Amino acid sequence: MAKLILLWLKCVILYNAVGAVFEDQVGKFDWRQQYVGKVRFSHFDTHVQSSKKVLVATENNVFAALNTRTGELFWRHVDKSGPEGNIDALLHHGQDAILVVGNGRLLRSWDVNVGGLNWEIVLDSGSFQKACLVGQQGTVKNVAVLKKNIISLHYLSNGHQKWIENLPESETVDYQTVYSGGNGEVYALGIVPHSHVVIIAYSTDDGEIIKQISVEAPWLSNIVASCAVIGQGVLICVDSATPSLYMCDLHLDTHDLQMTQIPLQSLGLEVAPDFQPVLVSHQPNSAHQPLSEFFLQLGPDNFLLLQLNNGQIVTLRDFKPALLVSFATTGEKTIAAVMSPKNKTACSINLFSAETGRRLLDTTLIFVMDPNGGKPEKIYIQPFLKKDDSVGYRAMVQTEDHTLTFIQQPGRVMWTREEALSDVVTMEMVDLPLTGTQAELEGEFGKKADGLMSMVFKRLSSQLILLQAWIAHLWKLFYDARKPRSQVKNEVTIENLSRDEFNLQKMMVMVTASGKVHSFRLFFFFQLFGIDSKTGSILWRHYLEDVPSNAAFKLMVQRTTAHFPHPPQCTLLIKDQDTGLTTLHVFNPIFGKKSHVNPPALPQPILQSFLLPLMDQDYAKVLLLVDDQYKVSAFPSTKNVLQQLQEMASSIFFYLVDSSQGRLSGYRLRTDLSTEQIWEVVIPMEIQRIVSVKGKRPNEHVHSQGRVMGDRSVLYKYLNPNLLAVVTESTDTHQERSFVGIILIDGVTGRIIHEAVQRKARGPVHVVHSENWVVYEYWSTKSRRNEFSVIELYEGMELYNSTVFSSLDRPHAPQVLQQSYIFPSAISTMEATLTEKGITSRHLLIGLPSGGILSLPKMFLDPRRPEIVSEQSREENLIPYAPELMIRTEWFINYNQSISRVRGIHTSPSGLESTCLVVAYGLDIYQTRVYPSKQFDVLKDDYDYMLISSVLLALFFATMISKRLAEVKLLNRAWR
Amino acid sequence: MHLWMLLMFLGWCFTEMEAGPGAAMSTQTNGDRFKIEGRAIVPGVKTQDWVSTARVLVDGEEHVGFLRTDGSFAVNDVPSGSYVVEVVTPTYRFDPVRVDITSKGKMRYARLVNYIKTSEVIRQPYPLQIRSSGPHSYFMKRETWGWTDFLMNPMVMMMVLPLLIIVLLPKVVNTNDPEMRKEMEQSMNMLNPNPELPDVSELMTKLFSGSKGSSKAGSSSKGTRPAAKRR
Repeated sequence: MAKLILLWLKCVILYNAVGAVFEDQVGKFDWRQQYVGKVRFSHFDTHVQSSKKVLVATENNVFAALNTRTGELFWRHVDKSGPEGNIDALLHHGQDAILVVGNGRLLRSWDVNVGGLNWEIVLDSGSFQKACLVGQQGTVKNVAVLKKNIISLHYLSNGHQKWIENLPESETVDYQTVYSGGNGEVYALGIVPHSHVVIIAYSTDDGEIIKQISVEAPWLSNIVASCAVIGQGVLICVDSATPSLYMCDLHLDTHDLQMTQIPLQSLGLEVAPDFQPVLVSHQPNSAHQPLSEFFLQLGPDNFLLLQLNNGQIVTLRDFKPALLVSFATTGEKTIAAVMSPKNKTACSINLFSAETGRRLLDTTLIFVMDPNGGKPEKIYIQPFLKKDDSVGYRAMVQTEDHTLTFIQQPGRVMWTREEALSDVVTMEMVDLPLTGTQAELEGEFGKKADGLMSMVFKRLSSQLILLQAWIAHLWKLFYDARKPRSQVKNEVTIENLSRDEFNLQKMMVMVTASGKVHSFRLFFFFQLFGIDSKTGSILWRHYLEDVPSNAAFKLMVQRTTAHFPHPPQCTLLIKDQDTGLTTLHVFNPIFGKKSHVNPPALPQPILQSFLLPLMDQDYAKVLLLVDDQYKVSAFPSTKNVLQQLQEMASSIFFYLVDSSQGRLSGYRLRTDLSTEQIWEVVIPMEIQRIVSVKGKRPNEHVHSQGRVMGDRSVLYKYLNPNLLAVVTESTDTHQERSFVGIILIDGVTGRIIHEAVQRKARGPVHVVHSENWVVYEYWSTKSRRNEFSVIELYEGMELYNSTVFSSLDRPHAPQVLQQSYIFPSAISTMEATLTEKGITSRHLLIGLPSGGILSLPKMFLDPRRPEIVSEQSREENLIPYAPELMIRTEWFINYNQSISRVRGIHTSPSGLESTCLVVAYGLDIYQTRVYPSKQFDVLKDDYDYMLISSVLLALFFATMISKRLAEVKLLNRAWR
Repeated sequence: MHLWMLLMFLGWCFTEMEAGPGAAMSTQTNGDRFKIEGRAIVPGVKTQDWVSTARVLVDGEEHVGFLRTDGSFAVNDVPSGSYVVEVVTPTYRFDPVRVDITSKGKMRYARLVNYIKTSEVIRQPYPLQIRSSGPHSYFMKRETWGWTDFLMNPMVMMMVLPLLIIVLLPKVVNTNDPEMRKEMEQSMNMLNPNPELPDVSELMTKLFSGSKGSSKAGSSSKGTRPAAKRR
């Protein structure tokens, strides 16, 4: 009975003692940055004059409200990723925001103030074209949605459908846009390319067709790209071939309506060669007609402000050079903002009156561009009326690198948001360099002893350096203390970056890849970010264009900061997944500068790349690249390296995975850097396909070779560094026949160590492979739940060769233990903690769709968990088997700082054995530290200095007093 | 043994029984896609204060729904099947509910999620609502230090009490009085353990150190030490 109580106590302790955050630790060593992604639509909330909100809908299917003062989020709604959550349109009226989602599948209305949904309705199927607000008699009450073959009108208040009409001849006519000028009519504009334009006017009240006109336009191919509606319902189009403007009045009710041609030459204008002119119009209020002024872009840097006046086009102003233009309205005033280049690094924004084209005084705003960033792409203007009725404004500039910058006059940057960081593909953490003094101190221990005297001198000199540093530190403290607090800056810059005592602060090198549309072509680019792990501030960035659209990235640290004076070196491998062609980008991870080392040109497609533990004379690790001819090239490829490679060739093996053929093959390096195949495993493609292949992390250390059993014997772990975990999924997806397989293969010999199949299961499978265990998670179709399974490998009670592990000489097959558990949630990603020496117990970090990151002790995923508790299992601290794993919110390392769409978790050891640095990335980035076995090597941060010093003092005084008393007593006794 | 069972049982109760009611379903259909409807309630908190951070997740992020300003929700476009519906907010805890939609979209019911016995059905009354079972507890409590903790510490008690006895007893009791001494001797004899009776501390030692430790259970002072260490 008592034993059971004890066991229960133990369990309770185990459940409680693992990974948790204390309330006072919030924000001490963790930070979160929330992103929304590349902005697609943006509106300033204008229904209240003092509103601080800007609404953004992004390409990452996020709809959010940002605070214009700080750039932080008021609220954010993350929809399903992929086309089903794609935001097609954003309309804004009063305190409602209307969103069309999922190619016209859903229509949603959000309350902007609360951030909650007003209503959501499902629209009829059909490819979405355009939506617009429809006003009548000065008020906006409806929203019109145009699809490929239907047009529908909905009430803004509840989303209910007012009417729905089929569009006539929708098989031949391509309806592209919808327009309403607030006069009780809704116009659907369609086109038969290179033939005619179809204009249909519907009555707002009942959807009755008021008129249907077709206008000859053989030169027109796309209404959206080259037309706009201006003034009192005049459709104006631009044709680059003639080049001329065409106009026609939508309200005229004649059946022989013609488009009036106005050659641009007659206006004295010229189109830049090879340029498709663009029209920009503006409708300040959906209940009223649009402005009769509009912009015409004639070249990449040439805009014209034109006006339609009594059927005549008048040029108000020519802007050249101008990069971007935008209209904005405040109160009754509408202004046109024009951004023009000033010099190489700055642009200026000026406001002009839209009606006259006159420049408004004191409205110049300077936007300083980041030389490492992209060009401005869009500007959003938030105008406001000052007390003297003049117009003031703030501007939000979106650049090609997805940065949002919010500027105030005359050029003060209020905030910036690096939205590219919502698309992190891979990352690495690099140690910061030592300072000069630190390096000198380290040097003392590194060098070999050369005589007693010099050692003593060195010791003394280093002590002196330490003393000096300490005095300098004290002086700085004293100096700072005298200054007012506001002046003391603790900003981190690249210059004052240095490693801290326990190497807890590191440089996060993040690679982001995102697409951008430039002159109707999709480009891809990637950016490198260097982020300080302590504060999350971006220290450097590098913007690179022209990346293949489906590139795979691999980031490798070739040289750490430990080899002063050689600079640290990182290599980013960019591989086009279609062609296999690869480029290397070599850079310094601390400063972000491109390295002077020239990477080799790689004309052949690359199949495999890996870092060898070999180093060249400059301490850079050797990167081996295997091309499609199975030839190996090394980088760096100096003589020294080649010589080392020749010596080592017989012990360099690598594997290739061809998942399209289901083939795994192993190769050995020959001394002439050619290769020979030594094994091949073919997984039949008809039945199953390879989903992922996971090796162990090269920087992982395992401290203990075995586990002590209850009877004091040792069960040795099977620590094969060459082990690969191959995950397969069945091609048959029927829920009765689908399965998930896992194969453990030795990467050197090709020997299959173990094979396990989970029947009635399907992916996505998440795998973690570390030490002597593999943990994987899958969906059980039979029981409709997520399940974890763990495989552990043991050598047995005796170790075959305890000094070194060789795959070639391991005669005994390992013992395999496996156990499965139920997990009560889906998971997004999974990673294991990593510490410097591997003494600390391991935890699994599991990213959940709810946004939490669960730190689950590996102890719970132990195939030796007994079903029946015995004396021995208790001795070993094994938890009795329970089928369901628990999710306790106390184990969330990110407490309420939930992270949306976690895509990856990166773990990195710190200088402290107890501490593991964790970065989770997805839509957000979260950095924290975890202590899987609590902080056993440093004093806890709640260590009570007061208590210990007061106890010491009390003891000291007690001894003093008792000494005195004893003396008095002795004296008294002597007198007696 | 019985106590152990009881504790286990209680443990399960806490984890399983907290699940409140579930989600209500509508009968609106849309092709072969259906709609899961319901309402989430946080007692005592205005909906405006929390709906902006909440989402409805169906089978992970397979389908996503958002909450209306009154706390109700609808997840559209869900094909037939069996789903776990969960309302997720960083602040409040809601228990997941399993929802089944037949291929005709007609027989839909909600029940408590039971991952172990998936066939077991505890239906929720219809129509129903998901009620929050309180805020999430993310943080561990710090061990706070108080004088009482310090004084009630067994080690301190062990140190302080004998000290008090040694220092105070001679002052209170006049040891020079022969009568008193006799009395004390008598009482000491009373206190002396009966050699037949097992020592309490010895018993504890046996319990805590398992079978091996029992053979060399020493004197009482030795025996208490491992026990103290265990704590």
